[in-house]
Amino acid sequence: MYAQHCAICHGDQRQGNLPGFPPLLGITHRMTNDKIADLIHSGKGRMPGFPGMQDSELNALLHFLDTAGSSPQMATNGAEHSSLSAAGEALFQQNCAFCHGRDAQGGETGPDLTQSRLVRRDRTGDDIARVIHEGRPDNKMPAFNFSTQEVRSIIAFIHAREAEAVEHPGGRRGVAVADLQTGNVEAGRRYFEGAGGCRQCHSPKGDLAGVASRFEGLELEERMLYPHDAPSRVTVTVPSGETFSGVLAYRDEFTVALRDKNGVYRSWPAKKIHYTVDAPVEAHVELFSKYTDEDIHNLMAYLQTLR
Amino acid sequence: MTKPLHYRCLLTFVALFAGLSLTGSLAAQDLENAQLIHPTPDSWPMYHGDYSGRRHVPFTQITPQNVGDLSLAWAFQTNQAAQIKSTPLLVDGILYFTVPDNIWAVDARSGHVIWHYNRVATKGDHIGHRGVAIYKSWIFFTTPDAHLISLNARDGTVRWDKIIADVDKGYWSTMAPLVVKDHVIAGVGGDMDNLPGYLRSFDPDTGAVQWQWDVTPPAGTPDTATGGMTWMTGTYDPDLNLVYWGTGNPTPVLNGKPRPGDNLYTCSIVALNPDTGKLVWGFSLSPHDTHDWDAVETPVLVDGLFHGQPRKMVMQASRNGFFFVLDRTNGKSLLTAAYGPTNWSLGVDKDGHPIPNPGKEPSADGRLIAPDEGGLTNYRAPSFDPATGLFIVDAHPSYSIYFAKPADGTYGWAGADYGLWGKGVIDAIDYQTGKIRWTHEVGEGGSGAGVMTTASGLTITGDSHGNLLALETSSGKTLWHAGMGSPMQSSPISYELDGRQYIVTSSGGVLFAWDLPERRIRNSSSSEQSR
Repeated sequence: MYAQHCAICHGDQRQGNLPGFPPLLGITHRMTNDKIADLIHSGKGRMPGFPGMQDSELNALLHFLDTAGSSPQMATNGAEHSSLSAAGEALFQQNCAFCHGRDAQGGETGPDLTQSRLVRRDRTGDDIARVIHEGRPDNKMPAFNFSTQEVRSIIAFIHAREAEAVEHPGGRRGVAVADLQTGNVEAGRRYFEGAGGCRQCHSPKGDLAGVASRFEGLELEERMLYPHDAPSRVTVTVPSGETFSGVLAYRDEFTVALRDKNGVYRSWPAKKIHYTVDAPVEAHVELFSKYTDEDIHNLMAYLQTLR
Repeated sequence: MTKPLHYRCLLTFVALFAGLSLTGSLAAQDLENAQLIHPTPDSWPMYHGDYSGRRHVPFTQITPQNVGDLSLAWAFQTNQAAQIKSTPLLVDGILYFTVPDNIWAVDARSGHVIWHYNRVATKGDHIGHRGVAIYKSWIFFTTPDAHLISLNARDGTVRWDKIIADVDKGYWSTMAPLVVKDHVIAGVGGDMDNLPGYLRSFDPDTGAVQWQWDVTPPAGTPDTATGGMTWMTGTYDPDLNLVYWGTGNPTPVLNGKPRPGDNLYTCSIVALNPDTGKLVWGFSLSPHDTHDWDAVETPVLVDGLFHGQPRKMVMQASRNGFFFVLDRTNGKSLLTAAYGPTNWSLGVDKDGHPIPNPGKEPSADGRLIAPDEGGLTNYRAPSFDPATGLFIVDAHPSYSIYFAKPADGTYGWAGADYGLWGKGVIDAIDYQTGKIRWTHEVGEGGSGAGVMTTASGLTITGDSHGNLLALETSSGKTLWHAGMGSPMQSSPISYELDGRQYIVTSSGGVLFAWDLPERRIRNSSSSEQSR
């Protein structure tokens, strides 16, 4: 029954063929028999209905879908996982590989996912799923409209790649903490205190105390060069003379918005108000054109002493 | 192939036909070469609108004075998650546009769908799609698995399906082919592998390969680069009979050691004979690139004065941060100037090539590089405005860090890079000096949108927040805007139908058509000029 009606789309081994055709291995864990029977009778989307299927045939098919196949139960979980990961690989190649590389170890623009803290910590896949669904607008990561099953398959592939990377270290394209140790601590301290102007906003015993314990390697260097989540503050004066201030929440040519100390969001037409923005992070932008690579490496060496 | 014999007669015929078709009383005609050379106002018959790539339209109905009344004529929902990155084509009142695996034919007057073609490619990169080409009544469509498919424009049925490149080797295709005479010229993408880039010309009737031009020596040639992908549409000068094409970066991408020298003709503008595919000249814009800066941005063709002397020029605002003006008859440099922060070059040599700084090649401990890997500009098109002499481009001043170490190998990406900071600006470059005449900020973090200019003095573009912008071309001042929901990932187009000028833009998976309310259209007679 399965081979005759279902295998052409869902695969001989029920492995599916994403994105069009979901895997059916383990389908009975995800759907009740009633729901599956409904789906077979009525069809859904591009899945044709089989209204003429007899009850006996249907029961046989449901029974087959409930079996684990030829392998024993424990091995099946592995098999399901690897078929899921294979399905996820196809989706990953089409949609993710351009930025994250075909092996998820980084490519054009996108980071190495096998070394991502989020990936490594997220054993359930919930955090990865959220990033896939919602994107990361600040980091150019677009949101994707995959089904739950498709997302599961992509996560399975990412975790498979991660396991592979842990098992076979070296030769990867990420940046290791050891790579970023070429600077001179004393020169970095001098730059921090002097030419870099870092001292004007930061203090090694204040906001930066223990910074090297909180961040390391590439993440520390990226934050050092541009702390992308550093808030800017805005003060708005409306025509009545009343003023509002808070964290800058949005700004384009036409609209300015803030979030005040109570967490309330307010916006105004930019033309109708006066506003001033205090963006300390701009000091980091001004440094870009002044740094030498040596300054950066020295500064990095110095910051790493602030444990 | 009888074209040369009938060409002149055809020209008259099409001109007559095009004039009459405005009355709407005649059946649709085929898109012939004459209309590709001189597009009628009621058409946008190829990716760049015409062969020059200037994306400047002659229309004067929508003006700086009345653009404040611009309003929505219609919107079309693709209901797809994929963003529209394509430029629609307009032929016989029908718009044709794409996302990967999909083509829609939509009525340009109402926005309702006429047909939809969907072919699911299970292989190949689905990074984006730029649009189709049309010749006679046939559509030419590239696919993520690097096929070239010809379809009937009337109903979307497939006529033939040919292979541009082998997807299993790592190629894909996103580009809109260029039709020149009886050649359909298609290119490839793919720099995750050490693959040679090329252009292939297909017979529009049979799909037979007419010629192939290889960007680099064959893979495996010692001390040479592979790469040079041809993933954007070129331009064409019918008088010189030369096609101009920008080529992509060399591979391995971030490791330049296995490929010493300039790596010709990667990161170059090349002039090819469209009948033979033979190289006439080539000019390297990023010799020995190690930062992924494809030089595939539009090679814009402009005829005009350069320092008092009449010139046939080709101009490109390149991803590497430099603006180039070349004499397009011979490929000699007229101007090379940075149009934003660039810190990777030691200067410009006597022939106009930027000199790469070996100290700024990716390294184990990182190099701070401007611009970032996306570059100072990318695939979103620039526009040239002849009245002001301004080359207007969506620019992205930015900084990043680039890494490469021996363990990263010599295959594919061969390193890693990370963007640190960037913002979007629309820059208006004086083509004779390279100086920026005005800059319009379009948002932190992101970039702007493709650019189109009009004869009435408007610059149509977008910001990084999703606003569609109409700017005054002479000053860059904002005259009108509308929030579209997400940043425009394509370039605007414009056409005139039934005496109305439309501007078409996209945002996310939605296509928007804009026009003036009836009462604001002073004079409904159509522009007869061609562009």
